[in-house]
Amino acid sequence: MSDDLPEEFDLIVIGTGFVESCVAAAASRIGKNVLHIDANDYYGDVWSSFSLEAFIKLLEQPSNSLRNGSYTWHKSTEQEEQPVTSWTRESLLEKSRRFSLDLSPRVAYCAGSLVQLLIQSNICRYAEFRSLDHVCMLYNEELVSVPCSRSDVFNTKTLTMVEKRLLMKFLTACNDYGEDKCNEDSLAFRGRTFLEYLQAQRVTEKIANCVMQAIAMCDANTSFETGMQRTQRFLGSLGRYGNTPFLFPMYGCGELPQCFCRLCAVYGGIYCLKRSVDDINWTDSELLVSSAGKTLRAKHLVCAPSQLPATLATHFGESEPRISRGLFITSKPLGNEELNKGGGGVNLLRLLAANGEREACLIQLSHYSGACPEGLYILHLTTPAISADPAADLADFAAQLFETHASQILLSAYFTIAAPAAEGIANADTPILCTAGPAYEQDYDAAIENARQIFSQLYANEEFLPRAPDPEEIVVDGEDPSALNEHSLPDDLRAQLQDLEQAAQHMDIAD
Amino acid sequence: MEDYKFLFKIVLVGNAGVGKTCLVRRFTQGLFPPGQGATIGVDFMIKTVEVEGEKIKLQIWDTAGQERFRSITQSYYRSAHALILVYDISCQPTFDCLPDWLREIQEYANSKVLKILVGNKTDRDDREIPTPIGEEFAKQHDMYFLETSAKEAENVERLFYEIAAELIGQARSKDGTSAAAAAAQRQSDGGGSIGLGSLSAKAAQGNCCGGSNSSSNGNANPNSNSSQGG
Repeated sequence: MSDDLPEEFDLIVIGTGFVESCVAAAASRIGKNVLHIDANDYYGDVWSSFSLEAFIKLLEQPSNSLRNGSYTWHKSTEQEEQPVTSWTRESLLEKSRRFSLDLSPRVAYCAGSLVQLLIQSNICRYAEFRSLDHVCMLYNEELVSVPCSRSDVFNTKTLTMVEKRLLMKFLTACNDYGEDKCNEDSLAFRGRTFLEYLQAQRVTEKIANCVMQAIAMCDANTSFETGMQRTQRFLGSLGRYGNTPFLFPMYGCGELPQCFCRLCAVYGGIYCLKRSVDDINWTDSELLVSSAGKTLRAKHLVCAPSQLPATLATHFGESEPRISRGLFITSKPLGNEELNKGGGGVNLLRLLAANGEREACLIQLSHYSGACPEGLYILHLTTPAISADPAADLADFAAQLFETHASQILLSAYFTIAAPAAEGIANADTPILCTAGPAYEQDYDAAIENARQIFSQLYANEEFLPRAPDPEEIVVDGEDPSALNEHSLPDDLRAQLQDLEQAAQHMDIAD
Repeated sequence: MEDYKFLFKIVLVGNAGVGKTCLVRRFTQGLFPPGQGATIGVDFMIKTVEVEGEKIKLQIWDTAGQERFRSITQSYYRSAHALILVYDISCQPTFDCLPDWLREIQEYANSKVLKILVGNKTDRDDREIPTPIGEEFAKQHDMYFLETSAKEAENVERLFYEIAAELIGQARSKDGTSAAAAAAQRQSDGGGSIGLGSLSAKAAQGNCCGGSNSSSNGNANPNSNSSQGG
């Protein structure tokens, strides 16, 4: 292939993971000349999704950012009285391309930072989502759905009449909390834990579990303020799309970086996969990237930790285990029929272990997510890494799931996502801006914050991903599409922006 | 809300310089853009057409230049109802690359997507690919075939109107063997996905436990890009 790649850029971005793609899109959007490359032949780096075959191949080839991979095929232990189609390794591999297996799966709050960013920038036109069907909790070893909306609370069989009233009262109080800053509760509970507050409301143990495990996603030590903020974040995301406050990207989270890349390309960014970097040098005014026998020059350079050339990786510190992942393909969903109407739910469950000191997040995907064939389910288990053995890190959680809930596992896989520590990245003495790699979190708050912070370091006074006009609004030839301002937006979009701003004020998560 | 019965997503692929953008702009805007300048800020064009008395909105997506180094995002192919594979009849290498493109299409696009092979630039007098060769290739790979000239506006309208007519036929038949029918089906059985464009409507209902009566299956909104009216 002839290499007619230009050689001079405002910004070169190496790696097409979520954070890098965000930065590339933001820079391109304000008119910077961007080259975005990736050594892999796929988009997304450690944020990508894979076909079954590609996923297995990946586990067999450990890298700096993905290691300790292992997988096991299991014989189907289907009971004879249930003559369902029995899946085999071969029949799964035959459908390999129907899978989108995520390395870094997560759900997004309906009014959370990702959704806000996608709407604000109009990148939402490249993505589709599935509303989560259920938010679950384990109660007395049983998997139950946590009622989210008023009608859920009304209809649920999980709670008694009295409990329903108590829960509604509690949630309404949380929702109204903060309107009056000098509210008695906020004075009384300042500096205490959210659990103490909850207990003081005289809710039942079951309701306390609902709130702690699924709604506020707290542990016993979480402060009153944080717990309240999280509860409000959950409540503020209700009633927007679907029945729960969460969304999952159709076809997997690996789609998201690509949406940002598409915007970058639309604004002139140049894309080149399968392009590795041999070395990076710099002078006072520019960076020089040696790649495939060519020297590419740029004023700025952003790089994923996983794609730093070996000669430079040491500047950013050793890469260490960050997230322990388990991935299971099963032929039976978790939980009862109620949780899996119409062939399986896309469900979320937060698990606790070691007396509530460790947590893990489980996302169950059915074919409605576009990430697996009908009749099969993907279970993504994620926990912050405490060792280099992902299976050991997840053993407690897996036991809670699989010991009491028969699930017909066909494939189980474990791996570790690694990245240099934040201090290492912050203290590196190079002009290369290194992104942080995936962190354990719900939604994309830390990732977006990372991208924002890198962007503002590069282009201090520029707007981060302002709204891209819709095709209908672009006057071709002669007019500058970016000249559109808020007042020229159609009414519905203006209203949408205002809604968002209001929502943003209500749900800012301070830490 | 706009008045249309169906919304179809059509994507174009093919080597750089075969005239994909010119085809789109000729059809949607009636002009032939001179020069090679990339269209910054434009990633899809919309045109509403009337076929068999039905209003149909066509959303036509261009590659945004990502084909230059063979780096088209997979998500570009997602949920496309029709796919137009373009080559330049005066440039053999653009024809020779077709098998590569087919491999990529097979990998990422819906297997039931409507595929059309287009030989563009029939206005050129230095033709390298005879019409029967193109026709034969299309036949072998189960694609429709048409030769066009974006410059002379030849067959461009016909191309998009035929696609619209074919997609309507598929959507109506609902036999589940086409992407369009499958999408229509998915909507009605409640497995629909959500485009975030529908936020404002839902947000107006208020949050918390108050009045949250939205359906559990997340109906796609006709205003969002991904959905299909009807």
